[in-house]
Amino acid sequence: MNELSRQQRKARQIILNTAIIVTMILLISGFFRIQVAGGEKYYEISMDNSVRPLMQYPVRGTIRDVNGMILVDDRPSFFVAVIPRLLTQTTIDTVARIIGEEPEFIREKIRGRRTYRPVFIKKDLEYNIVAELEEKKLDLPGVFVDVESKRYYPEGVSSPHIFGYVGEVDKNEAQRNAELEAGELIGKKGLEKEYDTSLRGTKGVYFTRVDAEGRDLGIIDPDRNIEPIRGMDLYLTLDYRFQQFAESLMVGKRGAIVALDPRNGQILGFVSKPDYDPRLLSGRISTDVWATLQGDTAHPLYSRVIQSVYPPGSTYKLIAAIAALQEGIITTQWTATCPGYFRLGRKTIHCWNAKGHGKINIMEAIRGSCNVFFYQLGLKIGLETWTKYSQMFHFGLRTNIDLPNESKGLVPTLDYYLKAYGPNGWTRGNLANLAIGQGELLTTPLQMAQFAMIIANKGVLHRPHIANYLYNEFSGARHFFPKETDYIKGISDEVYDLIREAMRRVVAGGTGWRGAVPGIDVAGKTGTSQNPHGDAHAWYIGFAPFDDPMIAIAVIVENGGGGGAVAAPIASKCMEKFFYNRLLPRAVVKKDTTVTDTLDTFMPMDLENFDRLRIGTPE
Amino acid sequence: MLQRYDYISLMLILILLLVGCIAIFSATYTGTGDENGYFTRQLVWCIVGIITMILVSFISLKFVNRISYWLYGISLFLLILVLIIGKVGQGAERWLAIGPLHIQPSELAKLTTILAVSKFLSDKYADVNKFKYFAVSISLILMPFMLIAKQPDLGTALVFLAIIIPLLFWAGLNWFHIFTILTPLLTMILSFNLLAFMLLMLTIVVVLFFSRRKLIVLIAVFLLNIGVGIATPYLWGQLRPYQQQRILTFVNPEKDPKGAGYQIIQSQVAIGSGGTWGKGYLQGSQTHLRFLPAQHTDFIFSVIGEEFGFIGVVLVLLTYFMLILRFVQIASSIRGQFESMTVIGITTVIFFHMVINIGMTIGMAPVTGLPLPFLSYGGSSLVANMMMMGVVLNISRSKFAH
Repeated sequence: MNELSRQQRKARQIILNTAIIVTMILLISGFFRIQVAGGEKYYEISMDNSVRPLMQYPVRGTIRDVNGMILVDDRPSFFVAVIPRLLTQTTIDTVARIIGEEPEFIREKIRGRRTYRPVFIKKDLEYNIVAELEEKKLDLPGVFVDVESKRYYPEGVSSPHIFGYVGEVDKNEAQRNAELEAGELIGKKGLEKEYDTSLRGTKGVYFTRVDAEGRDLGIIDPDRNIEPIRGMDLYLTLDYRFQQFAESLMVGKRGAIVALDPRNGQILGFVSKPDYDPRLLSGRISTDVWATLQGDTAHPLYSRVIQSVYPPGSTYKLIAAIAALQEGIITTQWTATCPGYFRLGRKTIHCWNAKGHGKINIMEAIRGSCNVFFYQLGLKIGLETWTKYSQMFHFGLRTNIDLPNESKGLVPTLDYYLKAYGPNGWTRGNLANLAIGQGELLTTPLQMAQFAMIIANKGVLHRPHIANYLYNEFSGARHFFPKETDYIKGISDEVYDLIREAMRRVVAGGTGWRGAVPGIDVAGKTGTSQNPHGDAHAWYIGFAPFDDPMIAIAVIVENGGGGGAVAAPIASKCMEKFFYNRLLPRAVVKKDTTVTDTLDTFMPMDLENFDRLRIGTPE
Repeated sequence: MLQRYDYISLMLILILLLVGCIAIFSATYTGTGDENGYFTRQLVWCIVGIITMILVSFISLKFVNRISYWLYGISLFLLILVLIIGKVGQGAERWLAIGPLHIQPSELAKLTTILAVSKFLSDKYADVNKFKYFAVSISLILMPFMLIAKQPDLGTALVFLAIIIPLLFWAGLNWFHIFTILTPLLTMILSFNLLAFMLLMLTIVVVLFFSRRKLIVLIAVFLLNIGVGIATPYLWGQLRPYQQQRILTFVNPEKDPKGAGYQIIQSQVAIGSGGTWGKGYLQGSQTHLRFLPAQHTDFIFSVIGEEFGFIGVVLVLLTYFMLILRFVQIASSIRGQFESMTVIGITTVIFFHMVINIGMTIGMAPVTGLPLPFLSYGGSSLVANMMMMGVVLNISRSKFAH
């Protein structure tokens, strides 16, 4: 029987009617409450006819290192502003005296502005100044003190390229995201930008009544107020003591250090020099400071680890070696003879070691960073295979580290050359150059550290990341970021073993002997890359310990000279700090007599002389 | 046959339409004689609606019954079409343009879904207490629900959820099953308060104990509730604060500082300032100073509250409730299961819209963007509502035939 009996239906009708009548009574009593019982109050408000929402901004979350040490905090900051139209001469003089400036300082700021729009005068006021200004408030019409939130960095904390900075929402940002409005502070660079939504927290609002003269008549209904929610705390993967140490190694230099844990991609150190004091960009940013930083020819605003691209030099010979071995183009026994120079057509190019390396196999060529060997290898491999292997190791791709504005670098392809030089426009000289990491090839220091990680892990790559977890103060929950792993396919273990062994020998008496760390088996590769901006860039990549790598590192010193002489010692000190937490006293190092201590640079080629050697053009 | 027409319902509907026109006139009144046409257009829509209602009230019910599934299928098709080629209105795709005509398939889908479920459950062998029939009925409702939620028009989608319980209840769903559907929802809400959660679990155990069902069923229902109760706070804690904020803003839009909170305060001020007797027609200062958002559509009731006061509010509310109670009366006195369920479904839709919309204007219900039936400005929803009224009037005519 599918239909309800008459009686059952009657019962259900009674239930429905009851529900309907109860709802009606609830609704009517709701209207009674605000119209009859509360009518007076609302009538009054409707006469003022303005309700003003006052935004309540949340406290921004802190940024902390792996041990919980606070690196970036949020503090209130008081500033003084004036309404020019209401100022008198005496007021200006009094205020100037209180804030410890000349009256001219204030006059300069309000010059040409006779409006009611407040003009900002001075930030970061001391408490006693705030107190004095508040005290004399009534005698100083047109002067007011207000508070804003600003980022605070404890003493000894710098690293502006990791943290980035916070600034006021601009017009574009407000248009893109309807939640944002002018005057609000959001992350503009670095971690502050990347994790902005988590760090920022959630706005609240208080509704106040305002009368016709704009006087505040207080909160309308405390129940309607919405409290702001504090942002989450961001915990990083790095130990700031290590970071500080790494930064100290680069003082006075231009360049970058990036160290990561090859087991999970966590960033251990992230140094970009020159940098600036992050305190300069905390709170309201003064235009002078900004202009100075922007105009600085050393580009301190640039995060060299991820934004700058450099030719990687001899560190990149490893790619040609891997390609040649994996493709079976050469065997480990294959040898080439380096007389100290190499003839390509009419042109003679020199190896960095003018005496020549002699007859060497690939292991020895990597250890001694022989240019002639790799010129020959490059020509044997060909451009397309070289490009394929470069891309396999994620060159020319972003690492997708959790920091904004990362560069992709550049891996030139056949298409690239065809576009740049026209058909048949590229030469065997270009190819020979690429094989030793010169020419159009460009990489970021982070890509090089990632490359070291891949070799250390024999093909396993973890996305580099600097944020460990977000901590929610209220729920106590920690939101960890998942490890993202990728596998480089198609490279055999034998090739990795050979490359790793060669890198070990680079440090054990090869060009990278200054990268050694006592008691630790280190593998590395040096590079000295020519560039149009002056002296060669010093490069070093490495990892350690050899059998169970715990740190992978890339170091570049711009125009620093030889990689073995300049970059390798920096990496070595970082590793000592990492493994021993101190620098070891060292006996006089006896260097391997077979390797000369000169630069492993290559002699720049004059590409213009290669026109007769264009591929496809018969001699 | 005109002797059998339900003149009481007809009168109530016409009164509400009239109140709507009066309120819209005030809401869009500029005082300069330079009217902006909302009132005239609403009058035209009212006439179109009344004609639609009368036409629908005279078509053959047998025919409607026969084509129920087809109508349902067409509605689903149109809803899918909206997702593909729909016109964007206020951030969501809701409209289909056919020549100069803009239709909103979700309005149509309310009626056709009710018809389809009613037809399905009025089948000779149908028993809503059997799992197969229960599951199919729920699916019939959830399909349009999901398509509309995807648009996204969450307010309208919620209407579909709201008809589930009354419709199945009226089809004879037994108490135990209603209990089983409702308790996990309640558990989800109460799971944030340990004491409330414990009390609820205790209640569930007691109810289950006296329900005289199989032990295995009892344990399953209980474990389901415990599971939901533990999982909800855990999953909630896993969310980032801004994600939580988004969910809270949906459940309770007043918590959105930039959005609905301001509207509700303004609406409350308007209604509260109307007092007992109101400020008089066209005298509402809040209304005319345009402090009210969407005052001719979603917040039309605050115009009535401000200008006609508590007395006016009660009169309009009573008109609604008389109509609703009248419909329930029709539903329970009609013999056919299909007709009876259809009336209950339509009644639920109107009732839900009304309670949510009016409750919203005084902050008792969330701001969902649901229009007030017969009063809010807008042709699409008005014609759809009048079509549903036509169906009820049609059914009420046949009441006396049996």
